[in-house]
Amino acid sequence: MLHSKIAISALLGGLSLAICQWLVFAWAPEEKVMGLVQKIFYMHLPLAWWGLVSFATACAASLLCLIRHDRKYDLFSASAVETGMLFCTLTLVTGSIWGRHSWGVWWTWDPRLTTALILWFIYAGCMALRSIPMPEHRKASLCSVVTIVGFLDVPLVFLSARLWRSIHPSVFAANGGGLDMQMAVTAIACVAAFFFIWLSLLLIRYRQLLLSARLDSIIFEQLFKAEQEPAPKTKKLYASE
Amino acid sequence: MSALAWLMAANAALWIGFGLYAARLASSQGRLERRISQWEADNE
Repeated sequence: MLHSKIAISALLGGLSLAICQWLVFAWAPEEKVMGLVQKIFYMHLPLAWWGLVSFATACAASLLCLIRHDRKYDLFSASAVETGMLFCTLTLVTGSIWGRHSWGVWWTWDPRLTTALILWFIYAGCMALRSIPMPEHRKASLCSVVTIVGFLDVPLVFLSARLWRSIHPSVFAANGGGLDMQMAVTAIACVAAFFFIWLSLLLIRYRQLLLSARLDSIIFEQLFKAEQEPAPKTKKLYASE
Repeated sequence: MSALAWLMAANAALWIGFGLYAARLASSQGRLERRISQWEADNE
Protein backbone atom coordinates (compact mmCIF):
# COMPACT_ATOMS: atom_id res chain seq x y z
CA MET A 1 0.00 0.00 0.00
CA LEU A 2 2.77 2.41 1.07
CA HIS A 3 4.71 1.21 -1.96
CA SER A 4 2.09 2.40 -4.46
CA LYS A 5 1.56 5.69 -2.58
CA ILE A 6 5.29 6.44 -2.85
CA ALA A 7 5.31 5.56 -6.56
CA ILE A 8 2.30 7.78 -7.33
CA SER A 9 3.68 10.66 -5.25
CA ALA A 10 7.14 10.43 -6.87
CA LEU A 11 5.60 10.32 -10.34
CA LEU A 12 3.41 13.36 -9.63
CA GLY A 13 6.44 15.13 -8.11
CA GLY A 14 8.56 14.53 -11.21
CA LEU A 15 5.82 15.64 -13.61
CA SER A 16 4.87 18.73 -11.64
CA LEU A 17 8.53 19.73 -11.18
CA ALA A 18 9.04 19.52 -14.96
CA ILE A 19 6.04 21.84 -15.45
CA CYS A 20 7.37 24.16 -12.75
CA GLN A 21 10.76 24.45 -14.45
CA TRP A 22 8.95 25.70 -17.54
CA LEU A 23 6.79 28.07 -15.47
CA VAL A 24 9.79 29.48 -13.58
CA PHE A 25 12.20 29.92 -16.48
CA ALA A 26 9.87 30.57 -19.42
CA TRP A 27 6.46 31.76 -18.25
CA ALA A 28 6.84 33.84 -15.07
CA PRO A 29 7.87 37.45 -15.80
CA GLU A 30 11.17 38.89 -14.62
CA GLU A 31 10.89 41.02 -11.51
CA LYS A 32 11.66 44.69 -12.22
CA VAL A 33 13.93 45.51 -9.25
CA MET A 34 15.72 42.22 -8.48
CA GLY A 35 15.69 40.80 -12.00
CA LEU A 36 16.39 37.14 -12.67
CA VAL A 37 17.64 36.40 -9.16
CA GLN A 38 14.07 36.82 -7.83
CA LYS A 39 13.31 33.42 -9.41
CA ILE A 40 15.24 31.80 -6.52
CA PHE A 41 12.08 32.61 -4.55
CA TYR A 42 10.17 29.88 -6.48
CA MET A 43 12.37 27.21 -4.88
CA HIS A 44 13.10 28.99 -1.59
CA LEU A 45 9.43 29.47 -0.61
CA PRO A 46 8.23 25.84 -1.15
CA LEU A 47 11.36 24.50 0.58
CA ALA A 48 10.69 26.73 3.59
CA TRP A 49 6.98 25.92 3.77
CA TRP A 50 7.36 22.15 3.45
CA GLY A 51 10.27 22.24 5.88
CA LEU A 52 8.00 23.87 8.47
CA VAL A 53 5.15 21.47 7.65
CA SER A 54 7.60 18.60 8.09
CA PHE A 55 8.46 19.77 11.60
CA ALA A 56 4.73 20.20 12.37
CA THR A 57 4.17 16.61 11.18
CA ALA A 58 7.05 15.42 13.34
CA CYS A 59 5.56 17.26 16.33
CA ALA A 60 2.11 15.65 15.79
CA ALA A 61 3.70 12.18 15.41
CA SER A 62 5.77 12.74 18.57
CA LEU A 63 2.65 13.70 20.53
CA LEU A 64 0.94 10.50 19.33
CA CYS A 65 4.06 8.52 20.26
CA LEU A 66 3.96 9.88 23.83
CA ILE A 67 0.19 9.27 24.15
CA ARG A 68 -0.10 5.84 22.50
CA HIS A 69 3.43 4.49 23.11
CA ASP A 70 3.54 3.13 19.58
CA ARG A 71 6.94 2.77 17.91
CA LYS A 72 5.62 3.56 14.44
CA TYR A 73 4.82 7.16 15.45
CA ASP A 74 8.38 7.62 16.67
CA LEU A 75 9.70 6.30 13.36
CA PHE A 76 7.36 8.60 11.45
CA SER A 77 8.54 11.53 13.56
CA ALA A 78 12.19 10.61 12.86
CA SER A 79 11.47 10.50 9.11
CA ALA A 80 9.67 13.87 9.21
CA VAL A 81 12.52 15.49 11.16
CA GLU A 82 15.06 14.19 8.64
CA THR A 83 13.04 15.41 5.64
CA GLY A 84 12.42 18.72 7.41
CA MET A 85 16.15 19.11 8.00
CA LEU A 86 16.86 18.58 4.30
CA PHE A 87 14.28 21.21 3.35
CA CYS A 88 15.40 23.61 6.09
CA THR A 89 19.08 23.28 5.02
CA LEU A 90 18.19 23.94 1.38
CA THR A 91 16.04 26.91 2.45
CA LEU A 92 19.02 28.42 4.29
CA VAL A 93 21.39 27.73 1.37
CA THR A 94 19.10 29.14 -1.36
CA GLY A 95 18.23 32.11 0.88
CA SER A 96 21.91 32.75 1.50
CA ILE A 97 22.65 32.76 -2.25
CA TRP A 98 19.77 35.17 -2.82
CA GLY A 99 21.00 37.36 0.08
CA ARG A 100 24.54 37.50 -1.32
CA HIS A 101 23.21 38.97 -4.54
CA SER A 102 20.47 41.21 -3.09
CA TRP A 103 21.92 42.31 0.26
CA GLY A 104 25.60 41.86 -0.55
CA VAL A 105 26.16 39.44 2.36
CA TRP A 106 25.85 35.66 2.71
CA TRP A 107 24.30 35.98 6.16
CA THR A 108 22.78 38.63 8.41
CA TRP A 109 21.33 38.29 11.91
CA ASP A 110 17.82 39.15 10.79
CA PRO A 111 14.97 37.78 13.01
CA ARG A 112 13.65 35.47 10.24
CA LEU A 113 17.10 34.08 9.44
CA THR A 114 18.10 33.76 13.08
CA THR A 115 14.93 31.90 14.13
CA ALA A 116 15.31 29.59 11.10
CA LEU A 117 18.92 28.86 12.07
CA ILE A 118 17.87 28.14 15.67
CA LEU A 119 15.26 25.73 14.30
CA TRP A 120 17.95 24.02 12.21
CA PHE A 121 20.18 23.57 15.27
CA ILE A 122 17.32 22.24 17.44
CA TYR A 123 16.43 19.53 14.94
CA ALA A 124 20.09 18.79 14.16
CA GLY A 125 20.42 18.13 17.91
CA CYS A 126 17.33 15.92 17.73
CA MET A 127 18.91 13.89 14.91
CA ALA A 128 22.16 13.60 16.85
CA LEU A 129 20.17 12.37 19.86
CA ARG A 130 18.85 9.47 17.79
CA SER A 131 22.37 8.25 17.11
CA ILE A 132 23.18 7.93 20.84
CA PRO A 133 22.96 4.30 22.03
CA MET A 134 20.21 3.97 24.67
CA PRO A 135 17.05 1.83 25.17
CA GLU A 136 14.60 2.35 22.32
CA HIS A 137 11.63 3.38 24.48
CA ARG A 138 13.74 5.96 26.33
CA LYS A 139 15.16 7.30 23.07
CA ALA A 140 11.64 7.55 21.60
CA SER A 141 10.37 9.52 24.62
CA LEU A 142 13.40 11.82 24.72
CA CYS A 143 13.32 12.54 20.97
CA SER A 144 9.55 13.13 21.11
CA VAL A 145 9.97 15.73 23.84
CA VAL A 146 12.78 17.50 21.94
CA THR A 147 10.72 17.42 18.72
CA ILE A 148 7.68 18.93 20.46
CA VAL A 149 9.72 21.60 22.28
CA GLY A 150 11.61 22.41 19.07
CA PHE A 151 8.32 22.98 17.28
CA LEU A 152 7.73 26.05 19.49
CA ASP A 153 10.23 27.83 17.24
CA VAL A 154 8.18 27.15 14.05
CA PRO A 155 5.48 29.85 14.67
CA LEU A 156 8.31 32.24 15.55
CA VAL A 157 10.01 31.58 12.19
CA PHE A 158 6.72 32.12 10.39
CA LEU A 159 5.74 35.30 12.26
CA SER A 160 9.22 36.77 12.84
CA ALA A 161 9.09 39.04 9.77
CA ARG A 162 5.85 40.58 11.10
CA LEU A 163 6.62 40.58 14.84
CA TRP A 164 10.05 42.19 14.62
CA ARG A 165 11.72 44.61 12.27
CA SER A 166 12.98 42.40 9.49
CA ILE A 167 14.58 42.95 6.12
CA HIS A 168 13.38 39.55 4.93
CA PRO A 169 10.74 39.98 2.17
CA SER A 170 7.24 38.97 3.28
CA VAL A 171 5.69 37.86 -0.01
CA PHE A 172 2.28 36.63 1.13
CA ALA A 173 1.81 39.42 3.65
CA ALA A 174 -1.48 40.62 5.13
CA ASN A 175 -1.76 43.35 2.47
CA GLY A 176 -1.55 40.84 -0.38
CA GLY A 177 2.23 40.97 -0.84
CA GLY A 178 2.14 42.52 -4.33
CA LEU A 179 2.78 39.42 -6.43
CA ASP A 180 1.88 39.56 -10.10
CA MET A 181 -0.77 36.98 -11.14
CA GLN A 182 1.70 34.94 -13.24
CA MET A 183 4.23 35.01 -10.39
CA ALA A 184 1.59 33.91 -7.88
CA VAL A 185 0.47 31.01 -10.12
CA THR A 186 4.11 29.90 -10.56
CA ALA A 187 4.73 30.11 -6.81
CA ILE A 188 1.60 28.05 -6.03
CA ALA A 189 2.54 25.46 -8.69
CA CYS A 190 6.03 25.18 -7.17
CA VAL A 191 4.56 24.73 -3.68
CA ALA A 192 2.35 21.92 -5.05
CA ALA A 193 5.27 20.26 -6.90
CA PHE A 194 7.54 20.35 -3.85
CA PHE A 195 4.72 18.82 -1.79
CA PHE A 196 4.93 15.61 -3.84
CA ILE A 197 8.73 15.55 -3.57
CA TRP A 198 8.49 16.12 0.20
CA LEU A 199 5.84 13.40 0.60
CA SER A 200 7.83 10.88 -1.48
CA LEU A 201 11.03 11.44 0.53
CA LEU A 202 9.12 11.28 3.82
CA LEU A 203 7.39 8.00 2.94
CA ILE A 204 10.55 6.39 1.52
CA ARG A 205 12.47 7.17 4.72
CA TYR A 206 9.55 6.05 6.91
CA ARG A 207 9.36 2.74 5.04
CA GLN A 208 13.10 2.19 5.50
CA LEU A 209 12.95 2.89 9.23
CA LEU A 210 9.85 0.67 9.56
CA LEU A 211 11.61 -2.24 7.82
CA SER A 212 14.75 -1.76 9.90
CA ALA A 213 12.71 -1.76 13.12
CA ARG A 214 10.82 -4.89 12.02
CA LEU A 215 14.09 -6.67 11.32
CA ASP A 216 15.42 -5.60 14.75
CA SER A 217 12.35 -7.01 16.48
CA ILE A 218 12.53 -10.34 14.54
CA ILE A 219 16.22 -10.77 15.48
CA PHE A 220 15.49 -9.77 19.08
CA GLU A 221 12.61 -12.30 19.31
CA GLN A 222 14.83 -15.05 17.92
CA LEU A 223 17.58 -14.28 20.43
CA PHE A 224 15.03 -14.18 23.26
CA LYS A 225 13.57 -17.57 22.24
CA ALA A 226 17.04 -19.07 21.92
CA GLU A 227 17.83 -17.96 25.48
CA GLN A 228 14.56 -19.40 26.83
CA GLU A 229 15.06 -22.83 25.23
CA PRO A 230 17.19 -25.33 27.17
CA ALA A 231 20.65 -25.86 25.81
CA PRO A 232 20.86 -28.87 23.44
CA LYS A 233 22.36 -32.00 25.00
CA THR A 234 25.90 -32.62 23.87
CA LYS A 235 27.46 -36.05 23.45
CA LYS A 236 29.73 -37.15 26.23
CA LEU A 237 33.28 -37.19 25.11
CA TYR A 238 34.46 -39.53 27.88
CA ALA A 239 32.75 -42.51 29.47
CA SER A 240 33.63 -41.27 32.97
CA GLU A 241 31.62 -38.07 32.55
CA MET B 1 28.67 37.32 -11.10
CA SER B 2 25.51 37.96 -13.13
CA ALA B 3 21.96 37.44 -11.80
CA LEU B 4 21.66 34.36 -14.02
CA ALA B 5 24.79 32.86 -12.45
CA TRP B 6 23.36 33.36 -8.91
CA LEU B 7 20.06 31.81 -10.02
CA MET B 8 21.87 28.80 -11.48
CA ALA B 9 23.97 28.51 -8.29
CA ALA B 10 20.79 28.30 -6.20
CA ASN B 11 19.29 25.81 -8.65
CA ALA B 12 22.46 23.68 -8.52
CA ALA B 13 22.49 23.82 -4.71
CA LEU B 14 18.90 22.54 -4.67
CA TRP B 15 19.62 19.53 -6.90
CA ILE B 16 22.93 18.77 -5.17
CA GLY B 17 21.02 18.73 -1.86
CA PHE B 18 18.36 16.38 -3.18
CA GLY B 19 21.05 14.24 -4.82
CA LEU B 20 23.01 13.92 -1.58
CA TYR B 21 19.87 12.96 0.32
CA ALA B 22 19.01 10.37 -2.36
CA ALA B 23 22.55 8.97 -1.93
CA ARG B 24 21.99 8.77 1.83
CA LEU B 25 18.70 6.94 1.28
CA ALA B 26 20.42 4.54 -1.13
CA SER B 27 23.20 3.90 1.38
CA SER B 28 20.79 3.11 4.22
CA GLN B 29 18.78 0.91 1.84
CA GLY B 30 22.00 -0.98 1.01
CA ARG B 31 22.75 -1.39 4.73
CA LEU B 32 19.25 -2.74 5.31
CA GLU B 33 19.58 -5.22 2.43
CA ARG B 34 22.93 -6.45 3.79
CA ARG B 35 21.35 -6.99 7.23
CA ILE B 36 18.47 -8.97 5.68
CA SER B 37 20.92 -11.11 3.65
CA GLN B 38 22.96 -11.76 6.80
CA TRP B 39 19.82 -12.74 8.72
CA GLU B 40 18.72 -15.06 5.89
CA ALA B 41 22.18 -16.68 5.81
CA ASP B 42 22.11 -17.21 9.60
CA ASN B 43 18.69 -18.88 9.41
CA GLU B 44 19.45 -21.30 6.59
